[in-house]
Amino acid sequence: MTGLFHFANLVRAGIRDNALLWMLIAGFALFPIFTHFADLPFWNDVAMRIMLLGMAAMGLNLVLGYGGMVSFGHAAFIGIGAYCVGISQFFGMTNGLFHMFLSIGVCGALGLVIGYLALRTTGIYFIMITLAFAQMLFFLFVSLEQFGGDDGMSIDRADFLVIDLYEPLRLYFLIWVALALVALGLMFIVRSRFGVTLRAIKSNESRVEAMGLVPLHFKITSYVISAVICGLAGTLFASWQEYVSPDIMHWTRSGEIMIIIILGGLGTLAGPLLGAIVFLLLEEFLPLALGAVAPAYAENWMILFGPLLIMVVLFGRGGLIGLLDKAGFARIGKRKMAVK
Amino acid sequence: MPDQVLELRGLNKSFGALTATSNLSLTVMPGEIHALIGPNGAGKTTLIQQIYGALKPDSGQVFLNGRDLTGLSVPERVRAGIGRSFQISNVLMDFTVLENGMIAEAARRGQSFRFLRPAFSDSNLIKGASAILDRVGLLNRAHLPVGDLAHGDRRMLELALALAASPSLLLLDEPMAGAGPDEGQRMTEIIEALRGTVAILLIEHDMDAVFRLADRLTVLVEGSVIAAGTIAEISQNQAVKSAYLGDED
Repeated sequence: MTGLFHFANLVRAGIRDNALLWMLIAGFALFPIFTHFADLPFWNDVAMRIMLLGMAAMGLNLVLGYGGMVSFGHAAFIGIGAYCVGISQFFGMTNGLFHMFLSIGVCGALGLVIGYLALRTTGIYFIMITLAFAQMLFFLFVSLEQFGGDDGMSIDRADFLVIDLYEPLRLYFLIWVALALVALGLMFIVRSRFGVTLRAIKSNESRVEAMGLVPLHFKITSYVISAVICGLAGTLFASWQEYVSPDIMHWTRSGEIMIIIILGGLGTLAGPLLGAIVFLLLEEFLPLALGAVAPAYAENWMILFGPLLIMVVLFGRGGLIGLLDKAGFARIGKRKMAVK
Repeated sequence: MPDQVLELRGLNKSFGALTATSNLSLTVMPGEIHALIGPNGAGKTTLIQQIYGALKPDSGQVFLNGRDLTGLSVPERVRAGIGRSFQISNVLMDFTVLENGMIAEAARRGQSFRFLRPAFSDSNLIKGASAILDRVGLLNRAHLPVGDLAHGDRRMLELALALAASPSLLLLDEPMAGAGPDEGQRMTEIIEALRGTVAILLIEHDMDAVFRLADRLTVLVEGSVIAAGTIAEISQNQAVKSAYLGDED
């Protein structure tokens, strides 16, 4: 009872960004209980997809939201992460931890190279060059016939020592742990000296230079971190989908995670995950809702989806988190100082 | 150990046919306030940019405390001891005044590449930033977002950020620009108080402030030094009178 009272007070005062993030993550931990009793096992699958895309969006958000770098090629890192599983298995390496370390290494190195080259440009050129790199990798995998080319390759769920991912909920909680670790890491990073300097660079690069710092070093570092997070999401995505094809790194997926971030709230901790939840639930429910009203048009649900997204962005200014902020349910915009 | 803080030797810079800096040599002594004056287009800001490292001179050298800075990048020069305020105030708009100071303080300590501890609740950074803000009298506005500051206070903050790294040379590009009379007065007093603690190269159009502050003056016309010396010497200089101050006779 007092707990409930405390919670009500919390809501009235406005939920802080990181509190909202951990509430959402806690929700994912409890969700399987709901699906078990409601007998809706399919929804575990949806929740896993939400967590995976949310994780990738959180990774991209470090450069997009906090660093102000509009990278339009992050699907490439998701794809590389997934192919790390596929190609490893092709050569007989089934150990899931190996896949993860491989993915971290490859995506980190690739992020370093792409970041080093692309971050010499800004604005529209940066968007184009990141897209170009992603397209390059996309067509590379389309052309690799031994790994399935266009058709992709099927994948066994990775082998995680004693954990058998084919047992119910094992994969779910593996993804959940990864999500929680990513969230924890990002929470530390964005509040750290590195994180605030990155935000300072977004705010005013020349002032940061005038402090004797090299903005490029911070940008590249954040780019590598976000590439690694997207790669990690990709390796788990491979086990979830049990299949990987170049489609996973199609440029529309780069756009999708970008939209998820903007929908949820750019440069906030909870935004990308909240965005992923709403985005993917809309994707599930809009066709059903439209189907109930006008069955003939059910497959044209995107015609509602688009305007909805536009409205959130137009009226939210800061996405769903911005809307919550405006309605008084969250206080993310006004950053109160923890100083006496 | 050379006794001048800044020495420029034969700097040249042109943009196409336009000569912005022409065989320019200049020294700034420790602790002095050295004003750089000249009509619009004389190449004052271009000169500051070359000292700061944002523009490369076509030829010539820049020495700071005897160290050749030519070829170093902006951040390298800042770490070597150059602080700067810009013509248009250049602060971190999305942060509070104190946060501005804290980010600068973290940079000064070489701690900006740390990933774990929360920055804005770090008592060492708060202490350092408070000292920085106190120097320009902004401590009572520490918790305001910079966007809510008056123009003059933003200039003060910028000065504080430039001073944060304890530079040996401070480049001030029109610190009074756009300030009201009171704000200009306050800025003058604060710069006055810095005399002797840091060498200052000052560009300023407000001649009252220049006369009050400058230990020495260099007059720049079309990229060349036409006169240099104390205020008394300059005000007797016929070339300056005709070229810059105008013939009042």
